[in-house]
Amino acid sequence: MATSPSSFRPAGSLPSAPVAAYDGPWNARLAAHLLRRAGFGGSPSDVAHYAAMSAADAVTALVRFPSTASYPEPQLTDDTASEMALAMMARAAGPNDAELMQRRQQQKEIRKQQNVANVTWWLNRMLVTPAPLQEKMTLFLHGHFATAGNTKGIYGLDIVEQNELLRRYALGNWRELTHYVARDRAMLKWLDNARSLKAHPNENFARELMELFTLGVGNYTEQDVRESARAFTGFTFARRTGEFYFNAAQHDDGSKTFLGRTGNFNGDDIVDILFQQPAASKLYATKLLEFFVYTDPEPELVDEFSALIRKNDFNMAPVISTLLRSKVFYSDRAYRALVKSPVEFVVGTYQLFGVTEIQPAVIGALNRMGQVPFHPPSVKGWDGGAQWLNTQTMLARENFASSLMGAPEMMQSKSWLTDGVPRSAGEASQKLAGTILQGDASPSSLADLQSYLDGRGTSTNTALSGENFEERMRGAAYLTMAMPAYQLS
Amino acid sequence: MKRTRFLIGAVAGLSVAANLDNLFGRALAQPILPGLPGGADDRVLVVINMQGGNDGLNTIVPHGMPQYYKYRPTLGIAPGDVLQIDKQLGFNPAMTSLKGMFDAGNVAVVQGAGYPGPDHSHFRSTEIWQTAEPEHYESTGWVGRFLDSADLPKDNLFNAVALSPVLPEVMIGRRVDVPAIAALQGFGLSSDRNATERGVFASIDRGGSMPFSSPYLATVATIEDHAQRGSQELPKLIAGYKTDASYPATPLGRSLALAAQIVGSRLGTRVIYVQHGSFDTHAAQKGTQDRLLREFSDALKAFYDDLAAHGNDKRTLTLTFSEFGRRVAENASRGTDHGEAAPLFLVGGGLKGGVYGSHPSLDDLDNGDVKYTVDFRSVYATVIEKWFARPTAGVLAGSFPTLTMLA
Repeated sequence: MATSPSSFRPAGSLPSAPVAAYDGPWNARLAAHLLRRAGFGGSPSDVAHYAAMSAADAVTALVRFPSTASYPEPQLTDDTASEMALAMMARAAGPNDAELMQRRQQQKEIRKQQNVANVTWWLNRMLVTPAPLQEKMTLFLHGHFATAGNTKGIYGLDIVEQNELLRRYALGNWRELTHYVARDRAMLKWLDNARSLKAHPNENFARELMELFTLGVGNYTEQDVRESARAFTGFTFARRTGEFYFNAAQHDDGSKTFLGRTGNFNGDDIVDILFQQPAASKLYATKLLEFFVYTDPEPELVDEFSALIRKNDFNMAPVISTLLRSKVFYSDRAYRALVKSPVEFVVGTYQLFGVTEIQPAVIGALNRMGQVPFHPPSVKGWDGGAQWLNTQTMLARENFASSLMGAPEMMQSKSWLTDGVPRSAGEASQKLAGTILQGDASPSSLADLQSYLDGRGTSTNTALSGENFEERMRGAAYLTMAMPAYQLS
Repeated sequence: MKRTRFLIGAVAGLSVAANLDNLFGRALAQPILPGLPGGADDRVLVVINMQGGNDGLNTIVPHGMPQYYKYRPTLGIAPGDVLQIDKQLGFNPAMTSLKGMFDAGNVAVVQGAGYPGPDHSHFRSTEIWQTAEPEHYESTGWVGRFLDSADLPKDNLFNAVALSPVLPEVMIGRRVDVPAIAALQGFGLSSDRNATERGVFASIDRGGSMPFSSPYLATVATIEDHAQRGSQELPKLIAGYKTDASYPATPLGRSLALAAQIVGSRLGTRVIYVQHGSFDTHAAQKGTQDRLLREFSDALKAFYDDLAAHGNDKRTLTLTFSEFGRRVAENASRGTDHGEAAPLFLVGGGLKGGVYGSHPSLDDLDNGDVKYTVDFRSVYATVIEKWFARPTAGVLAGSFPTLTMLA
């Protein structure tokens, strides 16, 4: 930030045929690049596994992922029934009902616990999933349809059910997904459409649907917002079951004029019209390129992907597959050209060191780094890029890495960090930089690392030995994670 | 940009071999931060976020309006209890300290602060006050944009600080990096407790020739340098500040004590963010709000006494904000629900105290809420233009009339 250039687009220019399949050499460095972008980084053996395939096969293995439908939902301490009981109690209670106040306090505590359970559940799913691309796309879609839990009546499993919807459509048809998002209970609460009435249409959802979910500012008018808000009246959910329900009595079935067309439109018609706009495929192309390739992609590149999305009618599997195989994706300009998000940083670090379970305490660290799943700063999601980087978030990243290296019990007993590593500072520092950074360190920082392993500049000044080896490797791994390349994807 | 590889080199140069741990203090090898200290007349803004939505009607009480008592049968504060400003208005009785400062002419009350199209969500309304963008989503805060535009020394790590565990949106800009410091003890690298790692950490070359290029590389290296240097330097830079002030033993008291220390150490700091709360008083409001207002008022008094003892009270302006006021009518739980406009405070030795703007009408409500009479962006414009003598272009979208408490 202190030296932010005006754009974070990589230097150089777009090569010819950037979307064509990459046909250059394939190695561990590029396999690790693919795993960081299409997943969370994986373990050293994951990197070796993908490096042993061809680029095309590696992408196919990620895109044709196994079913994860059997992954259990979070075990919550309570369910939505208690929310309903509380609501009924509130309606029946008189003023200053001490029991009601006590019950509210209890419910607040339950919601807090549920919220922690939900966040921890998703983080663990990202950590252990056999389908990393599915989780990565789900994270992308969560940032896109950004909805926060534990606020605005979004309690219990509301946010998890939305998350499951996004996961089902991770590589599915995103127009169809948007129809379901408009019916999703968490979204209906989050952007107030559940309370939108024929006499007083609430414009919140209709506006964000256009501004953030499909077209972007400048591609619609205030009149379009008002008219589409009318079309979405009646989209609500049944209090008792929580299921979507179209309340015909509250639906404005008059004629609307929307984006130049006139008709008796409902919410579904609005979504279909929006996805016919060229701006929609452009918005998705831009967001995907910024998430997977590099910041501020060239308009020509956006246009190519926009055409590809349109050609595939918003079926995303072929689009993502092409993107992950493309020349531009494996170009030097795309390499380390993104800032790791806090979730990528945390989940990736755990995968790297073989930690098998994420504890709720990690949520605090993620909060200091600036990203907690299910808690986007607003419906706009996370800006990412340079917005991840400030003194506070950097201290949080480094302290997270430091505390993990100070807790060897969290790591698997047999670890690449020590097993089979020669007791030589030179080879050990190469091993660290190779495994943690794919060698992306300057010669001078490698020399510093080697000095540290050798005991130079320490109070004991002892050389590397069997006795101090493990502790010093952990210290050196922390120092390696504090290097710039580790903050970048 | 390039890390000074001072540690190993310096140690070798000194030919010191044994017990090097004591030499790892960066001050030995690192020159004093350039650009410090700031000029004597540097002005500071302290922003206090009264989180949760403070009930304005029971903060500055309209005891001269009979409707107030009609809407507040149990929460209404009797005219005899109110710390009266005049026949219409008065302070909440818990705010004796602030009332004293008001009487001394150091407090400006801005009535009815709010914005068009008020949002009742804590989340969104907090964001609106912080970004100063009621109409669309913005990722930078108004203070962040002010810092970006103010041409501050690039090498000063403390152009602004947030005394909070997480950097608030109001302080986020595109160019100026603001450290968030919940407490001095927690601001730093945990590995700094390990002298060996600390030393090598400082020496790790973050520039040098990398086998890759990245548009973010320079930024990452700069921020890592800030994180490491800043957390080491700050305690040293403010260690010389001595004070006899006694602050209330509350989180806000501790934050403002640190704020006074930073102001008094003249680090060139222009803006300090502090938070206080939570004011989200849906039930049993009186106890909670009175306590929070007393804490606020007493901590602010201690803060300004401390500042004045060091000659800093006139160069330090404090601005409060809260995401919204609360519903005019109390609810069935002796609390109040989310509302719209509310008064805010400007405090300092450099302003003209008094009541500014008009109290919103209690006869003409917006679905049970008072309508704003002063756009809060007018207050921000006043701070930017009058306090900092800077243009609002690039900081606020549009132009807003300034208020007159600042010359």
